[in-house]
Amino acid sequence: MTSPLTDILFRPDAFFENILAGHENLKIPALIILAGGIIAAVLGYLMGEQPATMMAGIMPGMDTIVLITAVVGAFLGTFIFWLIVAGLFYIISILFKGEGSFNRTLEVVGYGYLPQVIGSVITLIAAIEYLPRVAIPALTKSALEDPAMIEAATTALMHDPAMVEFTQISTLIAIVFMLWSANIWIFGMKHARGLSPRDAAICVGVPVVLYVIYVIYTLGAM
Amino acid sequence: MQKTRILLCSLLILLLAAGIGPAYAYSTPESIAAAGKVYVDNVSYDPNAFFSGDIGTASYTVKNGNTDLGVVVNHATLSDPSQKFSMIGGDHQSSAQIGPGQSHTFTFTVRADGSDGFYYPVFSLSFRDADNLFAREMVRIDNTPLLLTIKDKPDAFTAGKKKTVYLEVANPRVNAVENVILEVSGQGAEFTPSRIYIGSIGPGKTALVNFSVTPNSEAPVLMTLHYDNGNNPHEVTKELPIVFGIDKKAAEPVMSNVQVKNTGGTWHVTGDVNNAGLETANTVIVTSLPPAVPEDPYKVYVVGALKPDDFGSFEITFAADGVESVPVKLSYKDADGNVYDTIQDVRISTGLSLTTTSDSGGFPVMPVAAAIVIVLVFVGGWAYYLRRNRK
Repeated sequence: MTSPLTDILFRPDAFFENILAGHENLKIPALIILAGGIIAAVLGYLMGEQPATMMAGIMPGMDTIVLITAVVGAFLGTFIFWLIVAGLFYIISILFKGEGSFNRTLEVVGYGYLPQVIGSVITLIAAIEYLPRVAIPALTKSALEDPAMIEAATTALMHDPAMVEFTQISTLIAIVFMLWSANIWIFGMKHARGLSPRDAAICVGVPVVLYVIYVIYTLGAM
Repeated sequence: MQKTRILLCSLLILLLAAGIGPAYAYSTPESIAAAGKVYVDNVSYDPNAFFSGDIGTASYTVKNGNTDLGVVVNHATLSDPSQKFSMIGGDHQSSAQIGPGQSHTFTFTVRADGSDGFYYPVFSLSFRDADNLFAREMVRIDNTPLLLTIKDKPDAFTAGKKKTVYLEVANPRVNAVENVILEVSGQGAEFTPSRIYIGSIGPGKTALVNFSVTPNSEAPVLMTLHYDNGNNPHEVTKELPIVFGIDKKAAEPVMSNVQVKNTGGTWHVTGDVNNAGLETANTVIVTSLPPAVPEDPYKVYVVGALKPDDFGSFEITFAADGVESVPVKLSYKDADGNVYDTIQDVRISTGLSLTTTSDSGGFPVMPVAAAIVIVLVFVGGWAYYLRRNRK
C-alpha cells in the first residue's frame, strides 16, 4: 500500500489510472500549485533582494517595488505556468485526437507539478546558502538616464561568483525536476486525453525538452 | 719770645726750600739712571681687536724697576703716527710719583679709525727729572663679523605647522664677544623663543641655538645676531626664506582597498588606510563629507595612530542620494598636534562601487554537460520505454 503522494512521484501511470477514473477534482492540484506558488514567492523574495538592493539608490521605494514585484510575480507566475502548460499540452494533444476536458489536463499538470515543488524547496535551501554571499552593485539616480549603467550593474550582479554558482545549481535542479514532472505529465496526459504512450510522450516531451534546451542555452550563455 | 721762634722756624723752612728744591728739578746722573729702570710692564686693549669705528680703552702699566728710588712722571700720552687710532680721552697731564718697585697704569680712551690691519700707537711718558719713555705696542683692527649658519631646517614649511630651525653661531675673530643675543622676527609667523641669549663666545668658538617657527604666510624670517665687541654693539643678520611645500618626511595616509556597498539605502564604505609617509600619523580619522550625510553606526571612524608603513582598516556609513561620488575626508595629527586633512572621492555609482568580479569563469562546461546528460537520459529512457511497450 503506497500513499497517493508517492504514487504521483514514482507510479504515475497507476496513480492517474485511479484518480482520473473518478470525477474531476482540481482541489489537490490547486493546493500543490499553491504550495509551489508560496515556495516560489519566498524564493522570489530572496532573489529579489539582490536587484532591489542594487536599485535602492535610483529612487526612494524602488527596492520595495522590486521586492513586491518579485514576490507577487513568482506567486502568480506559478499559477500562470500551470494554465499555460496545461493549455499547451491540451492544444498539442488535439493534434493526436485527444479526448477529455481541459480541466482534466489542468488536474494532470497540477499533480505533475509536485516534483517541482520539491525542487523549489531544494532551490530555496541553495538560495539561503548562496545569495547572502553575493556582492551587490549599487545604482544611483543617474542610472535612470543611462540604461547602460543598469545593464552593467545587472551583468555584474549576475556574474558574481556566488550568483553564478547558485544559478548553475538552481538550473540543474530545475531541469531535473522539470523532467520528473514531464514524466508524470506524460502518464497523466495519456489517461486524461486518451493518448497512446507515444503520443503523450510527444505531446509533453517536445515542449518540455525544447524548454529545457532553452534553459541549457541560457545557462551556457551566461 | 714765642713770635721770634716762629719767625726763625719759617726762615729755616724757606732756606731749606730754596736750597733743596732747585736741586730736584734738574736732571742728574742719578735721576737719569733711575728713569732708565722705569719700563712699560703691561699693555692691554679692550677690546683686543677693534671693529672700525669701535671705541675702547688702552691701558699701559708702567713699573718702576728701582729698588730704592722713586720717579716722578708728569705727562703721559698715546698717539698713532698713522692716525688710524685716535685718543679721545685719558690724557694724563698731572704729575705722579711711582715709588720703588711700584706700578702705575695709564688708561686712554681710543677710537679705531682705520681699516683692517695692525697698528702701533705710541705711548710716551715724561719724567720730571729725565727724558721721556716711549713704547709702541700692536693693536689690531679686525672687521670680521660673527657667522650665523643654518645647520638644519625643514625641507619645506607648511602653513600653521611648527618646525624647528637649528643654527650655529661662530666667532672667527681673535677676541671674545659678549652679550650675544639672537633675535628672530618675521611677518605672519610665530617664533618660540623670539630672543635667545647666548652670552659670551670666545675666539674660534661656536654656539648652537635653535628656535621653532610656525609660519602662516610665505614671508621670510629675519634672524639678527646682536653682540658687543667691548662696549660697541654690533649685529649680523640672515634671512630664512619661508616657502610652503610638501614635507617629504610628513606622514601620508592613503586610502586603498575601498569597497562600497549599499544596504537599505545606507552606504557602507570600507577600506584600509596606509601610512606612506616617514612620520607617524596620529589620530587618523575617516568620515564622509557633504553631499553625503554620515549615519550610524559609523558616522566617524577613528583608525588611531599609524606608524610609517603601517595600516589600519576603516568603515564609514552615510546616506547619499543622487550623487555619483562622495568625498571622504581623512584627517590626522602630527606630533605637534597640527591637523591635516586629505580628501578622496569615492565613487558610489555602478562603475566603481562594484565589489564583484566580472569574470564568471567562462563557459560553464560542467553544468551544461550535466544538463544535457540529464535530458538525454530522460529522452533515451522514454524512447526505450516506448519501444519496449510497442513490442
